[in-house]
Amino acid sequence: MDVSMLQRTYTDLLTSLFREGILNQQFIELQQLQDENNPGFVNEVVSLFFEDAGRLITELISNFNQQAVDYKKVDAYVHQLKGSSASIGAEKIRSVCQTFREYYDKNDIQGCYNCIQPLKQEFMTFKSKLEALFALEQQIVAAGGSIPMMRH
Amino acid sequence: MASSQVVKVLVVDDDVLTRRIYRTLLLRFGFEITEAEDGKSAVNKFIDGNEYDLVLMDKDMPRMDGVEATRALRGMGISAKVVAITGDENSRGAFLDAGADEFLLKPLNITALTDILKAFNFLN
Repeated sequence: MDVSMLQRTYTDLLTSLFREGILNQQFIELQQLQDENNPGFVNEVVSLFFEDAGRLITELISNFNQQAVDYKKVDAYVHQLKGSSASIGAEKIRSVCQTFREYYDKNDIQGCYNCIQPLKQEFMTFKSKLEALFALEQQIVAAGGSIPMMRH
Repeated sequence: MASSQVVKVLVVDDDVLTRRIYRTLLLRFGFEITEAEDGKSAVNKFIDGNEYDLVLMDKDMPRMDGVEATRALRGMGISAKVVAITGDENSRGAFLDAGADEFLLKPLNITALTDILKAFNFLN
């Protein structure tokens, strides 16, 4: 694939991520921090998020599988996940975390429990799409092109 | 300002990802960055004799939260600018009462922080 086609594919994918609500404006804020001094900044920060969020979701699921669920600990994990997802613009993940915390504040345990599977699903979708985006970035750079910047 | 011309910033947040984002932004301005992962570590940095011009302070952290840390710093006579940056919009009053100079909501808005840094004369 030539560079311009790769760049178009990249732009289309990124646009779709915003249109589907997977990413929000905060992602563009992160892209603004990427420059020649920090060429892999967004990739690095999102990779940190993959690691961190993956661990938190594993802990969440493990906690919900216990006989006696420690809901305070679970809420602390979700609070952390909400913060980090908001920091990188992972809107759908942030939104599910917000819903979870609203149920938690109302002592609606079933509501909390019902958020766990959607949270895991949104994380897997986010990870898969961002990995595809970064793979395209690598192809563009390898082909001698520059990464198109999103204006939002 | 602390003794050198370089603006010295203490970034206080228990989230490594958040600290990484702030570090990248502030290094662009040529600031010198130190990190602390909770309020107690932040206070200890000052107790150890370190000087900072600016503190970016999260709220919810282990061992000592940001409001308590801000109060502790002011109680020690620390005059560094303190900017609270938190997702807890209800903590604005508590932070300002504790002695914070400014309050920002997470997620970080680069323009909002830059405007504050200019108002503090840390940026041209």
